[in-house]
Amino acid sequence: MSLTTPLRQVLGLGSAKSGVHHWWMQRLTSVALVPLTLWFVVSLVTLPGFDHATISAWMSQGLTAPLLVLLVLTMTWHSRLGVQVVIEDYVHTSGARTVSLVLVGFAHVFMAAAGVFAILKVALGRGA
Amino acid sequence: MAEFRLPANSRIVKGITHAAPAGARELRQVRIYRFTPDSGENPRVDTFGLDLASCGPMVLDALIQLKATVDSSLTFRRSCREGICGSCAMNINGVNRLACTTSMKELSGDIKIYPLPHMPVVKDLVPDLTNFYAQYAAVKPWLRTRTPAPPDRERLQSKEEQERIDRPAACILCACCSTACPSYWWNSDRFLGPAALLAAYRWIIDSRDEATGERLDELEDPFRLYRCHTIMNCTDVCPKDLNPARAIAEIKKMMVERQI
Repeated sequence: MSLTTPLRQVLGLGSAKSGVHHWWMQRLTSVALVPLTLWFVVSLVTLPGFDHATISAWMSQGLTAPLLVLLVLTMTWHSRLGVQVVIEDYVHTSGARTVSLVLVGFAHVFMAAAGVFAILKVALGRGA
Repeated sequence: MAEFRLPANSRIVKGITHAAPAGARELRQVRIYRFTPDSGENPRVDTFGLDLASCGPMVLDALIQLKATVDSSLTFRRSCREGICGSCAMNINGVNRLACTTSMKELSGDIKIYPLPHMPVVKDLVPDLTNFYAQYAAVKPWLRTRTPAPPDRERLQSKEEQERIDRPAACILCACCSTACPSYWWNSDRFLGPAALLAAYRWIIDSRDEATGERLDELEDPFRLYRCHTIMNCTDVCPKDLNPARAIAEIKKMMVERQI
């Protein structure tokens, strides 16, 4: 039982004075993903085939590798921000929430690192 | 974690059926959520046969008639019966609205009346709005200034400046919007909800108010403000045709504006 006032409960620990950066980055990454995803899909569709030689040739040429790195980083960043919101929405026990937020953060950083590593490996010609 | 079923003592059981009065000419079934915490019983849905020919046109008329003639224990809030007090907000045929401004002719099928969703129920159609009112108080809904008021007259604002707050200031705090918002259902302990945020916006854009920055500071929080995911149920259901979703979007824009 608690005899605190309703206002005290609503005010809680006060404003976190953050959130705008998260919101803005979610919008920026989604805007950036529009051209990046379009470029990725169009590139794949216009490729003559999906065998290893064709893909590594495509990935070693011109701006392909940097754009792919950008795509992977933007996508994982956007996904991390989105999954964070889902967890904050639905996971209400503070322990479980903290643990899942941390794990999701680590998982996304790992995915980004693995993606970038794979791109570089193929693009720099050591993927055979 | 999220709960997907109501707690055992909140699950709705079959209720009582009250037949229509003899000689009813225009019969309509009204199904009403009933709950008395003192009884220790689960909530139930009672069915009332109503003769539309001998009843006023609005849902509130039906409730008053049923309370007067069939079951005097039927409990609901009402006052002005003209859409300005916000007391009779309830969930009617699946939509939050005011019983007094909802015509029964607009509703198809049986009329189903429940309290505002996802709120603690005090009795029948009366939700506990303590938290909702505290959230309104939390945004300090009054003029905050540093410049002393002119000694001989009120603080002035132009006609255009007044018109900017005309709509947001018309909120009657009925709670239809906040209780229609899924984000509010899941996180009403920390998310302020559309009604309180609309009130905050009303003071943020008030040309006489001098606490704009402090007001934005107090809202800048992943839960207080940013639980809004632009679902827009709030704007959909507002019985005064106000636009809390837009007000929240404008607040989010101001948050970015002061950063870049």
